[in-house]
Amino acid sequence: MSIKINESPYEERVQQGIENDFMRLAVSSAQGRFRSRKRIQETELGNWEDWRQLGAEIRKHTVENLDYYLQQLSDQVSKRGGHVFFAATAEEANDYIQNVIRKKEAKKVVKTKSMVTEEIGLNRALESLGAEVVESDLGEWILQLDEDPPSHIVVPALHKNKEQIRETFAEKRGYTGSDIPEELADFARSQLREEFLTAEVGITGCNFAIAESGTITLVTNEGNAEMATTLPDTLITVMGMERIVPTWEEMEVLVSLLTRSAVGQKLTSYITSYTGARLDDEIDGPDDYHLVIVDNGRSKILGTEFQAALHCIRCAACINACPVYRHVGGHAYNSIYPGPIGAVLTPLLDGYENHKELPYASSLCGACTEACPVKIPLHEMLIRHRQIIVEKEKQAPMVEKMAMKGFAKWSSSPAVYKLSTKMARLALNPWTKDDIIGNGPGPLKDWTNSRNFPAPSKQSFRSWYKEREKSGEE
Amino acid sequence: MKVSLFITCLCDIFSADVGKDTVEILERFGCEVDFPELQTCCGQPAYNSGYLTESKQAMKQMMRAFKHSEYVVGPSGSCVGMLKEYPNIFKNDPEWEDEAIKLANKSYELTQFLVEVLEIVDVGSAFKGRVTYHPSCHMSRILGVNEAPITLLKNIEGIEYIELPIKEDCCGFGGTFSIKNAAISEEMVKEKSQHVTETEAEYLVGGDMGCLINIGGMMQREGKTVKVVHMAEILNTTK
Amino acid sequence: MTIQNREAFLDGLAANLGRPRRTEGVKRPIWSVTPQLEVLKGQTQDELIEALEKQCQAIHTVFKRTDKAGLEQVLEDTIQAYKGQSIIAPNDQRNDVYGLTNLFKKLEQSTEIHIWDHTKEKENQVFAERADLGITFSDITLAESATVTLFHNKHHGRTISLLPKAYIAIIPKETIVPRMTQAAQQIHEAIVKGEDVASYISFISGPSNSADIEMNLIVGVHGPISATYIVVD
Repeated sequence: MSIKINESPYEERVQQGIENDFMRLAVSSAQGRFRSRKRIQETELGNWEDWRQLGAEIRKHTVENLDYYLQQLSDQVSKRGGHVFFAATAEEANDYIQNVIRKKEAKKVVKTKSMVTEEIGLNRALESLGAEVVESDLGEWILQLDEDPPSHIVVPALHKNKEQIRETFAEKRGYTGSDIPEELADFARSQLREEFLTAEVGITGCNFAIAESGTITLVTNEGNAEMATTLPDTLITVMGMERIVPTWEEMEVLVSLLTRSAVGQKLTSYITSYTGARLDDEIDGPDDYHLVIVDNGRSKILGTEFQAALHCIRCAACINACPVYRHVGGHAYNSIYPGPIGAVLTPLLDGYENHKELPYASSLCGACTEACPVKIPLHEMLIRHRQIIVEKEKQAPMVEKMAMKGFAKWSSSPAVYKLSTKMARLALNPWTKDDIIGNGPGPLKDWTNSRNFPAPSKQSFRSWYKEREKSGEE
Repeated sequence: MKVSLFITCLCDIFSADVGKDTVEILERFGCEVDFPELQTCCGQPAYNSGYLTESKQAMKQMMRAFKHSEYVVGPSGSCVGMLKEYPNIFKNDPEWEDEAIKLANKSYELTQFLVEVLEIVDVGSAFKGRVTYHPSCHMSRILGVNEAPITLLKNIEGIEYIELPIKEDCCGFGGTFSIKNAAISEEMVKEKSQHVTETEAEYLVGGDMGCLINIGGMMQREGKTVKVVHMAEILNTTK
Repeated sequence: MTIQNREAFLDGLAANLGRPRRTEGVKRPIWSVTPQLEVLKGQTQDELIEALEKQCQAIHTVFKRTDKAGLEQVLEDTIQAYKGQSIIAPNDQRNDVYGLTNLFKKLEQSTEIHIWDHTKEKENQVFAERADLGITFSDITLAESATVTLFHNKHHGRTISLLPKAYIAIIPKETIVPRMTQAAQQIHEAIVKGEDVASYISFISGPSNSADIEMNLIVGVHGPISATYIVVD
């Protein structure tokens, strides 16, 4: 997989989402739970805005000094027996990792949930070598068995129900049990335990790399990250280059923001911090450790007005707050990064051409910006994307451009504007019945397909006001 | 106190009564109201669609229109919120930056003006009925006006206030979003309409005409009898 | 060890940031707010234990409290409750101090006991994989989130708290701090002093769980299925 999931057009994807009743019910109830759990945590702290402020300051400072902190990180990892590879592109990252796998003659690779490895299409690259790649996060494993892309960055299989999961397990792994979630999870546990014990290589993503000590921190509830970093003899971390903090003290603050914002927990069951290869006489953990730091388009965002998008800590709070996401689901975005942050990031990483609808898939209600624990002005960035699509990329529809030219003329000329307030009712008269427009013309049609539109007032406000002034003078 | 009315283009054309009510409320509390005729639209439809150049023409017109005003008050959280964005939009523009800052600083949404400037929490109105309130996103999130409208509503004699479930959720209007992404907008407003129905309220009150046209248009199409009214209309019902 | 492609990569970042490369002298600014220091601030050790106990309910973890004299009995009861027939524990000097060594001797008749021994290499993992119970001490305990912090080393393998079906953490009262902030500070200060950080630090809050199937909370996925904390005064 890469950032883009498939070739189907935007309108079709939206329609598919809207028509998927199960998915919408699942998403809506998940959003409700996530939001209320997050709110409980915020209330309990009592000073959530201070936390957000601190999170924003930490991210800003770190990204502004990214070259310095990445240098420190790589020095520390190297000191602790690790190899560090800086990958400018997805291809470079995949090539390096393929080489490690080849050298080890590894047959099986066990992975933890990682968005950046989805982004660079790592699984496909490794499978092309003949290696078996096993996703160990329960949700990711379900999707892997079913060859389905993730629809949420924290709960990737949110769009699937337990009956579908039972069928997948039965078909792909000979499962004969019921669709009770505990039983399904127990089956996954036994299947995956075997995979952990036999895999030669573990691959993880990275929630936060700590520059001062070369430590990688992973946040999980299932404990699969502890498994993957403990059992295989070779361990590879793949990190997006911005996922770094200066010291343990900042890691701690961002983990607190992440777990609260993502799942409404004070901390997840496991926060795993590993540094380099295992030390002498240690038995658990890798004896061969590699850190792959991936750019893949991120550096283009540095120094631009979108730089704060690199502050993202991948908590999905914006996704959980977004009413558009609730109705269309993650797959409608056709990006492994869905929701508001996806609509901001995807065109930056993968270009406007394939994703030019995404910045418009928002009513600009600002729920995302309000939810973001590191204060990324997401909805403002969506407006900025629209400006670029209109003015730089020149990808806006001709009809819209004409309409907006008209708007400029109308709104900058009081005489033209005034005339329009007089003429509006008359102009819409052919479509008006009992002061209601039920089947409007032109662009109004899409609106009136589902709801009524009001007819303009019999007298505009300004004309009423003029009369009032006159009668007052008399 | 001299107040210039910022009518907003939607109220000017589609809801003149809301304008009348706004004028009367302000006058009731001793404001000397004028209506600068040079005003048009705040520019938001173009700005939010990515047409910065076009939107700036509207914005400049607004700055010209209200240049000499002491206070600018409008019956819309969203449109006033747009005026508040002008300083960011005209940053480093030697000709317009100062004007943008001035206009932003003297602009208020109606309920915000009543509560924050005139320090009125009870407008002395009376209204009988079960009422719920939709806080428009731009009023609450962009402008930061959350409590003022609810306080004013609750203090109206005879009103039974019922909170709207998940009231902070967008109704799906979003200006050109409702046309460009009509299918998604439709689902959002259907859900909002459902939430209004759940309250069993007789009236849905809001402070933004765009949202009200959207929610009202859907509820009307669905054959629901809930009356959708603007805040100004409720505040201007006398005892 | 090798570092590849670094200079070009970081030069590029600096160029995009519109300034020369920074290789030294970057200092963390003084943050304008420090809300993390306010959580459970000024609480006594007993108040912290109360917070810890309350949070244990939220994370499906059994909470017990005793003193050094009572630990042996409480631990034995807990092991029985888990029907622990095979137990693995680190080679921790606190085993003697807290009477675990004695208890293990006593249990040896009926129970398989394995104390981590790095000279036995993979045998340790194999035992852990089939063990009913892993028992460790907490090195730093976070009251707010009911988290035990484990610094792993050659005497304390990572698999002890991970592979067995159930996990028991013994929490000496003095290891309890308000929250992760204090643990992070300790680690940071040690690094500043030039000490090497442990190769593996786990912050564990209760048994493993997942909400990946229809958002239903399932306790016990890859790691232990249940957990007990025993606070020792």
